[in-house]
Formats: sequence, C-alpha cells, structure tokens
Amino acid sequence: MPDIASLRKQAWQAFEETGLPTTRQEEWKYTSLARLGSVLGEAWWTRAEPASLKAADIDALAIPNLDAWRIVFADGRLVESVTSLPEGASLSPLSELLAGNGQQAATALQWQADAPLFNGAVAANSALAEDGLCLCLADGVVLNKPIYMLHIASQPGASHLRHGLWLGRQAEAHVIEHYAGAGEEAGLTHAVTLVHLGEGAQLRHDRLQDESLKQFHLGRLAVTQGRDSSLTSHAVALGASLARTDIAVDLSEPGAACTLNGLYMPTGRQHSDQHTQIDHRAPHCCSREHYRGVLDGRAHGVFNGKVVVHEGASGTDSAQSNANLLLSDKAEIDAKPELVIHHDDVKAAHGCTVGQLDDKQLFYLKTRGMSEEEARQVLTFAFADSVLTGIRQPALRRFIEKRAFSKLPIDMDAEALVG
Amino acid sequence: MLKIENLHASVDGKKILKGIDLTIKSGEVHAIMGPNGSGKSTLSNVIAGRDGYEVTEGSILFHGQDLLAMEPEERAWAGVFLAFQYPVEIPGVNNVYLLKAGLNARRKHLGLAELDAMEFMQLVREKARLVELDQAFLSRGVNEGFSGGEKKRNEIFQMAVLEPNLAILDETDSGLDIDALRVVANGVNALRSADRSIVMVTHYQRLLDYIEPDVVHVLAEGKVLKSGDKSLALELEKRGYDWVREEAANA
Repeated sequence: MPDIASLRKQAWQAFEETGLPTTRQEEWKYTSLARLGSVLGEAWWTRAEPASLKAADIDALAIPNLDAWRIVFADGRLVESVTSLPEGASLSPLSELLAGNGQQAATALQWQADAPLFNGAVAANSALAEDGLCLCLADGVVLNKPIYMLHIASQPGASHLRHGLWLGRQAEAHVIEHYAGAGEEAGLTHAVTLVHLGEGAQLRHDRLQDESLKQFHLGRLAVTQGRDSSLTSHAVALGASLARTDIAVDLSEPGAACTLNGLYMPTGRQHSDQHTQIDHRAPHCCSREHYRGVLDGRAHGVFNGKVVVHEGASGTDSAQSNANLLLSDKAEIDAKPELVIHHDDVKAAHGCTVGQLDDKQLFYLKTRGMSEEEARQVLTFAFADSVLTGIRQPALRRFIEKRAFSKLPIDMDAEALVG
Repeated sequence: MLKIENLHASVDGKKILKGIDLTIKSGEVHAIMGPNGSGKSTLSNVIAGRDGYEVTEGSILFHGQDLLAMEPEERAWAGVFLAFQYPVEIPGVNNVYLLKAGLNARRKHLGLAELDAMEFMQLVREKARLVELDQAFLSRGVNEGFSGGEKKRNEIFQMAVLEPNLAILDETDSGLDIDALRVVANGVNALRSADRSIVMVTHYQRLLDYIEPDVVHVLAEGKVLKSGDKSLALELEKRGYDWVREEAANA
C-alpha cells in the first residue's frame, strides 16, 4: 500500500528539482511560464480559497440543455456531484480517496516522470491536487449520458485538479471537461486527467477551455489505450491569458485507434499553446489528428503535433493536419508537425497550412449578394467549425460555437449556417 | 440594360481587353463566342467585379448606373449574376444559407420584405426541381463534393432563386454531358423573360442549339470583331474563327 503522504512528498521534491519548464526546453520553446510567478506571485501554486457559488452562478456558466450527469468544481474543490450512476460505474471525488489513502488515489496521483510531455508542473500538481474525479467503469459498462464536469475558477490563487478515468473491457463513456471562469483577478487552473482504456473500451472526451481572460491555464490529458480501444477527443481552447494544453496518447496495444480534433482561437493578446503526442507502440494502430487555429489581434498560437512510430509498430496508419487562419497581420502562429518513425511499413501523413481567407471563396459569396463582412464571418465560421462536426450532442456543439464566435466580431445564425 | 463602351482591361499588367463595345437590351439573349485566350472570361469577371482585373479605359453602365464603381455584392443587389466557369467549393457553408443571405440582401436593397424561412424553402424547392437538383444537395456545403455537372446545375439553380436582371453564364456548357446540358438549358430557357437579359460565354455552338440567342458576338484578341444573329454561330462552327480575324484585319 503506497503512502500518499510520501508519494506527495516525492512529487514535491521532483518539482523542486525540475522546476517549471523554461523556454530553453524544446517542448516549451514558444511558451514562457515566467509570467506565472510575476503575476501570481512567487508562490504561484498556493491554493485558492474556494468560492461559495450559488446555484444561479453555476447555471449561468453551465452548458444549457445538456442531458448529462453534472459534476461541479469551484476553484479546485468539488461542490456538486451525482449519486445515481448505473451499476458497475463508480465515481469518487479524489478528496475522499486521498483521505482513505488507497491504491486508487495513488494511481490517480502517479506523476509520470517518464511520460511524454512530462514537466515539473505535473509533479507540482501531483503534490498539490486536492480534488478531482475518479471514474471507474467495470467491464462492459456503458454510460448512456455524458459525464459533464464543470470547473469554475473565480478566486485568486491556484486550482490543482486531478482526474482519473478507468474504463474496463468494452466499457463506454463520454466525458466533457468544461473550464469556465468568472474571476476578476488572475489565477491558475492546473488540471491533469489520466485515462486508461481497457480492451475494446470507447471514450469520447471533449475539453472546452473557456476561462476568464485573466486566468492562466495548464491542462493535460494523458491516455493509455489497450487493445482495440478507441478515443475521440475534441480540445477547444478559447479563454485564459496564457493557456497550454498537452495531450499525450499512448497506443500501447494492437488495434487501438484515436482521433484528436482541436480548435484554438486566441485573440487580443492571448497566448494559446497546444502540444500533442501520439505514440504508436503496437502494430495496427490508427491515429487521426485534425487541429485548426483562428488567430486575431496580437494573439500568439502554438501547435505542435508529434507522432512517434516505435519499432515493431507495423501497419501503423497515421494522418495529421493542422490549418491556421490569421485574421490579423499582427497575430502569430508557430506550427510544427513532427513525425518520428522507427519502423518501416507504416502509413503516415501530415500537413500544415497558415493563411488568410480564400479570395476565390470570398468573391463567390459576394457575387451571390453577401456583404464583404458577412462573407468573411461565414468563411471564418466554416473554417473553424469543421473540427467540431464530430461532436455528437447538438447542445454541446452549439454552445462551443456560440462561445467561440462571441470572441470574433461575428453575429450570425450559426444553426442555419451549418444546417 | 447593359452598355459597355471602349472597355480596356489588364491582368497583371497584361492587356486582355482592348476596346470592347457591347449593348444588351432587356429580354435579350446574347452569345459571346471566341477562341481560347480571347478575353471572354476576363469580360465576365470584369462585369462581376473580381479583384485583380484592372480597367484602364472605358465604362460599363447597368441600367444607367456605373457598374465599375460598385462592389461585387452591390452589383448582385442591383441584379447582376455570374454563373462561374469553375464554381468554388465552400465546405461548411450550406447552399440554403448562402442563397437566403443573398436573396434577402437583394430584397432589402429593392425595398421588399425579407422572405421568412417557410416562404424561402418553398421557393428553393420549386427552383431545385427546375434544374432537377436533388433536394439533398440543398443542405450540403456549397459545391462540396459536387461533380462538375452538379456544380454547373447548382449555378443555374442559384440564378433561378436570385432572379437577376442580367445573368452572365461563363462557359456553363463546358464539361457537361448532353443530358446535363439539356437540363441546364431547360433551366435557362425557363428563366428567359422580358426583364431579364442573358449573356452566354461559350466555345461551342452546341449550347446554342438548346438556348437560342438573339445576338451572337465574336470576341478575339480583346475586341468584338463581329456580331450577327444565330446563323453567325453556325458559320463559326463550320469555318472556325480565322476568317473573322482576317475580315476584321482587312476592314
């Protein structure tokens, strides 16, 4: 039985040794965390005092009309949960597991020093996370509604969250992580989600980061996939002054498949960094990645998509695309697809584009009577929306569209457009 | 309706149109024929207002208004429509949305009430039947994954919905098999009316078997070299364009 206290201590020591990543590290070349300390103070990791939220505050930020099991966290602490999951599904707050000092808590807190995209901040999270959600699905358990996790950051200080999702053989779930903010002051949200998919398990994971423009956001999703399991992810990054999301997928057994879709829309002076790494470790795994960025103002975006095909991963099928639309000549994008192949007999493709709206399309729309402004809006919308078409719940998709396009000078009937 | 006088235009500094004169009256159907590179598509694009075409001399009046001073969308509101030679695909923007936005913008310009969703869908279904366009195409992205023939039919369908006063069909017949050509031609013929003029830009006399023009012009080397009735098209089919060039050179 691991001792949680010593595990935490180890993690903290690791953080003290490693520290926050710096721009001298290749993976952090374009994203400096120096502002964490200068804005939030030397002890930037200090936990926030959770706000006491009223039901109306929560409802105002929640996705409307979403048929889901809702779980709410305020400033890193659980404030609303569900009790009625189907048999074979268990849902435990990390805070309870920590008190019980059990194996599950220890597993959730493993800090993965050897994992891809690991950094010192993850160790800090392991040492400091107070709450989160540990969802376990026994073999064959299928959740017929999404688990909707709403995280509200409204207080200064840091929220360290740790979630663990364990899906047994042939289990199925849909988890939505929504990060919203209502704070006037700067704070840090640091959320790490560890996922294990058993044989044939299926997970849909949608992540919407829509925090206040003062917030710092560090997010991480690390998935280990068993044989023939499948992951479909949508990662949408809209909010925060500085946001970094790491997604690491380990296709560790034959026949596993993942699809990573992403949309980032930094505007103003926002900095938005998305790093993904997909490791093909076993034969006949399939990965698809499709990320799009829309950048305006003086925003800075980063996309780094790494695909590693390990020795022995024969029959690998991997395709990646990244497209960026710059709406302003002061916006900046650093886009880097990376393909590392250690095995022959693989199919791997990637492509990356950076550009403005297509003049031919603009002209076509205008000859049909659309004003220049409307034509630009319509094309921008269509560009970004193409990565959201795989979202199954209309309420979720419409909400994301509405939030995304409230950032741009766009005023249109999105529903009619995508019909 | 349309009066083009001494129109000169360049693309990337290269002179393409070298003094076009053309007058089109309400209700007339004109065919503009000519060899490749004669300036046919340039003329279409200049009338529709595409960027990158520099008009260096001359004028285009549409119902007495200076067309060249207007933005492409203003031309559309005034009733000019271009059926593209190569219609672009616009994934994610559905056909119906585009047409509703376009039609209501035009109606607003004309001081008419906007159509509500029901009236609009009724209109759209009726017009789709005209060009035998499957209803399923309506909710798809504009031209997204359409075959060449479907794209051309979609252009005529859009024209039917927008009911322009002046329609320019830029090589709408090229790449169409005979069945598709017949469908497109039926659509165009159904739209002929006393207050609508149609300009067909084409290589081939075949289109004119289906849509009978009032006037045929020969465009070559950036100028209208000869105009006549539909028998001119038949003569061009038989004799090619060289004799027109020679005749013009000797004149």
